[in-house]
Amino acid sequence: MQFQTRSTSDEVEVRLNGRLEFTDHDRLSDIVGLLDGQRARRFTIDLSGLEFLDSAGLGMLLILQEEAEQRNIKLTVRGPQGDVKRSIDLARIGEIITIEP
Amino acid sequence: MAMSLSDSRVLIVDDNEFNRKSLALVIRRAGISEIAFAGDGEEGLRAVDRFRPDLVLLDVDMPVMNGLEMCRALRRNATHEELPVLFQTALDSDEEQVRCFDAGGSDFISKPIRPGECVARVRHQLEKRKLFNDLAAYRERVQRELSHARAMQHSLLPESRRIAAVAERYGLILDAHFETSSELGGDFWGVYPLDDRRVGFLLIDFAGHGITAAINTFRLHTLIDRFPMEDAAPSQWLSRLNGALKDVLPTGQFATAFFGILDLATDTLTFAGAGAPNPVLGVGADLRLLDSAGLVLGASRRARYADQSHRLPRGGFLFLYSDALIECGGEEHGPLGQEAVPAFVRDALAVNRLHPLRPMLDRFYARTRQPLRDDLTAVWIARRA
Repeated sequence: MQFQTRSTSDEVEVRLNGRLEFTDHDRLSDIVGLLDGQRARRFTIDLSGLEFLDSAGLGMLLILQEEAEQRNIKLTVRGPQGDVKRSIDLARIGEIITIEP
Repeated sequence: MAMSLSDSRVLIVDDNEFNRKSLALVIRRAGISEIAFAGDGEEGLRAVDRFRPDLVLLDVDMPVMNGLEMCRALRRNATHEELPVLFQTALDSDEEQVRCFDAGGSDFISKPIRPGECVARVRHQLEKRKLFNDLAAYRERVQRELSHARAMQHSLLPESRRIAAVAERYGLILDAHFETSSELGGDFWGVYPLDDRRVGFLLIDFAGHGITAAINTFRLHTLIDRFPMEDAAPSQWLSRLNGALKDVLPTGQFATAFFGILDLATDTLTFAGAGAPNPVLGVGADLRLLDSAGLVLGASRRARYADQSHRLPRGGFLFLYSDALIECGGEEHGPLGQEAVPAFVRDALAVNRLHPLRPMLDRFYARTRQPLRDDLTAVWIARRA
């Protein structure tokens, strides 16, 4: 998985590309780190470029949600496609995290 | 800090007594006291077997068998392949050094002896060997413990005798496969006789795999007994399990689940899903994917689950599996994918009407890169016609 970050004054957007899976656990702390030192109260994770997400990847989204909540930052997951969307829907992650089409 | 070499054993092979004594003196000062001697290569080989040295200091020119031959003989023996051998040689002879390396030497010490250099090279080799042995011992211990843990994990699952007994009691055909991607895994399945007409089936997959996921299956096993299944709808039972898992699982760890109860008196399967892959239900010629969506277990205390009921009469079947079946692919074929599972089952039924699990697995393994990236569990549950 690779990611790019774009920040504006009120929003941080992280675009994930490739596959988000078990082996990406070490990268998670890099993304959690982005939650700190930001003024922005909105944090968006754009999944439109993500091809695959396994259960460990879903777990990472849940961790990000909790980390954001603890910092009083609103986390939104945007644009999951294909298999990624199917995985998120099957696990009903939308009951915990705000998912935007 | 330098490592203590007091328990290291060194064999000195040299036909010249003065050289043997000088070398011994030098390395004794480095703290090595276990020293043995040999006067030629043949004696040297015998001494290696008897004395079991950690390092050999070896002269090149000796009667009976020279140092090069002795070293080659050592390297042919798998036990001594890694034994450090330091040749004593004139350091200005390039040709001789090449011969020593070709014979399997690890390094050189100069002749005549230079004490500082000699100790430094001996120490370097012995420390390397110690670290290597420590690592090998550590690896072996971990390996042993993992294989114990693996046996424990397998003991959580229904054993074949029990599967056969349940199948007999309820008029079922039951086949199951369980494979972890490394020594330990995060999958779990169970079969639970509730009364004379009802039997429960549970399939759980903890996120990730390996040791963390496996520890969660042990946690799960103790929780399952805490919540009786007899008087709860599958959705209620999953809710209770979810609450208990939420208490013990750190954020980011969760499980997908399918829990279904088959009622033979009413020919009904009632189930609740928590994000498990869609099971396949087969009745007559109709094969369909069941909707097993639901919030994964252990993620939120607020999770609520819903029951669904489907007819499952004699001759019908239910196929449960973990996501490895649809997410693992190979070089030639990508992953199978959820939508392809009914056709996959249908093809296997054409090969073996009563026991299609075997042909399914054969086809899966033929198209999938191994070792698997995730744990695979598959359970075939059919009612006898």
